[in-house]
This record gives sequence, structure tokens and C-alpha cells, in this order.
Amino acid sequence: MDQVSAWLHEKNPGLDGPIGVDEDLIEARLIDSMDFLEFIDLLEEISGDSIDLQEVTIDDFRTLARVQERFLGSAGRAEVPAG
Amino acid sequence: MNTSSITALPGVELKSPGAGLITLDPVRTALLRGLDDLLTGLAARLSAPEVLGPPLLSVDGLARLDFFRNFPHLGVSAGRFGPDALDGLASGGSPQDLPLHPTGHVLPSATCYGLLLSLEGEDVGEDGLRLSASGRCFRNETHYDGLRRLWGFHMREVLYLGTKDGATEHQALGGEFVQEVAGRLGLTLTRAAADDPFYDNGGSRARLMALDPVKYEYSAPDGTAIASVNRHRNFFGERLGIRAGSHGPAYSSCVAFGVERWVHAMILAHGTAEQALERLRAAVTGS
Repeated sequence: MDQVSAWLHEKNPGLDGPIGVDEDLIEARLIDSMDFLEFIDLLEEISGDSIDLQEVTIDDFRTLARVQERFLGSAGRAEVPAG
Repeated sequence: MNTSSITALPGVELKSPGAGLITLDPVRTALLRGLDDLLTGLAARLSAPEVLGPPLLSVDGLARLDFFRNFPHLGVSAGRFGPDALDGLASGGSPQDLPLHPTGHVLPSATCYGLLLSLEGEDVGEDGLRLSASGRCFRNETHYDGLRRLWGFHMREVLYLGTKDGATEHQALGGEFVQEVAGRLGLTLTRAAADDPFYDNGGSRARLMALDPVKYEYSAPDGTAIASVNRHRNFFGERLGIRAGSHGPAYSSCVAFGVERWVHAMILAHGTAEQALERLRAAVTGS
């Protein structure tokens, strides 16, 4: 999840402080539509699993809590490099 | 009202100057004006003042709104002949093959762009702002098809800038108005998520739009989309530094009508342009 937060801060340099786990990343455009596929790539890289856009909904990407639950669950977490 | 007395054009044919370009005859012109008046009712209902946007848009401004990243194929450029060409033209030479010099401007492809660019750096306040405008819009298309797909057409819009909830409400109010007016006119419209003509249909924005539609279209039975409701999240607010008081970058949404397409839908529904005009007038007078 640290990598996801780091990516969001990199894309939103004006952002102050941490991003709340329930903050709406889509409506607030912390994930800009032009960067959406890059965000998918990031999640695939972290989790080691591919994401089929036919099998997800926008709500799967809406908050950090949901992203963690949907894509970076226990299996995904095990593959996240320490640190 | 006797329509024939003001719409007759005996013995004269109004020729098309080219693909996607049409001179509307008197009946269709009366339809377009009457429909535009009726559609302006949304602005009155929402207390949106009427403004008139600029006839050309700066390419620099549009580039900041990602217009060319999304729709590089649509832009109709405003070029001018260079000084070295003027003598030849003035002495009767053909302009056909002469190069045009860019002016840094293009014709509008949508009415709201000019309004949004005019609001750069403004604060629309806690309660937000609505503006209503109509303008001729231009889009390069791969094919043209009567009043359904023109090179230039009239687009009426009511734009909202303010809060996130306000933008959502504006979309909802616009959708209600579209269906209400359609009902008065005897039009049956279908609402569906829009399939916008992104240049890169597999691109990031198009893929996100497929997952989270921000634009819905209202279409006639033959599939012609005649109105749409669009929300932009806080994209324009951020890119143009437009604030909504303490809410930060303004969220925005708009309701758009393709007026020639309403003419098309009326003729489709009522058989002929004359019958469509009678139906429109009956709807306006409430009879």
C-alpha cells in the first residue's frame, strides 16, 4: 500500500499529508483519467496478478481501503517487497 | 398559427455547399429556432444567465484541457493566407492549393469550452455558477449524414460550476428536463452511457469512462443522440484554477443539446418537417 500512496503523491504533488483510506480517489481525481491505466499497471505489478477490466467495477478503485481489499489482499501483500 | 404563410419558398432550391454543410429551409429554420427557444427553458428554470461565447478558441487553452490528447481529429482549424499569397489571390488566383498559416485558434467543437476558458482563475463562490449559451460548433467527421452529422451545428448548453453534489444535481435536473421536453414534443428518447469518439479508444480516459460513465446521452429511436448530460469531476476547476469558495477546485457538469439533431428527431417522429413544426407549435402553446 505504501507504493500506491507513493504513486498517488507523485501524481499529485500539491497533496498535503496522508490520503485517507476512505477518500474517493476517483471523484477527487487523485487518479486522473489519463493515468488510470498506469494505476492498473501499478496494482498488477504489486499484486503479481493481472486485472481484467471486464471483471471489475469503478468502486474497486474508489478508495485505498477497497483497493487493498480487492487487489492487494493477503496474497498480494505477501509479494510486496518489504520496506 | 399558419405555418405556410411564413415558410413558403416557391420555386427556389437551397443547395448544399458541400458535404456536412446544409442551408436550412424556412420550415427547418423555424423548427430549429422554436426548438432552441423551448430548450432555453432549462436555463430559465435553473436561473442560468445567457451569455455568448467566443467564436474561436485558443489552441493553447484547449491543449491545457487535454482536448488534443482526446480528440485531435475533431478540431477544425482557423487558418489565414500568408502575406506572400495575397497578391496572387487579389489578382484572381485560386485559393484552392495555397497553404494556410496557423492562427493559434480553432473553431469551437463544444459550446462550454469557450465559457470555461473565460472563467480561468475565477471563484464561482459557495453556491456555484450556472451559465447558458448557444453557439455553432464544428467537428471534422469521417462521414456526414443530413442533420444527424454535420460539419457545423448549433449546440445549446447549460453549464454548472460549483460543488461535487451541485454538479451531480445539475446532471439530474438536466436529464429530467430533457425527458419532460421530449414528452411535450412527442419524442421517445432512450438514455444510455455515451460512447464518445476518443481518438484512442483503448486509452486510459476511454477505459475509465467505460467503467465510470460521466456522460449520458438521450437518443431518438434511430440512435441519434440529441442531448447529453456530462460531469467533469473537478477537472476543469483544477486545470483552470476555478474555485468554488471554500470547497476548493470547482466541480462542473453540463447539459448539452444538438439543436439540428432535435430538428431531425422531430421530423423522424412526426413524418414531415411541416408536421413537426405544427407539433412544436402545439407544444409551445399548450394545445
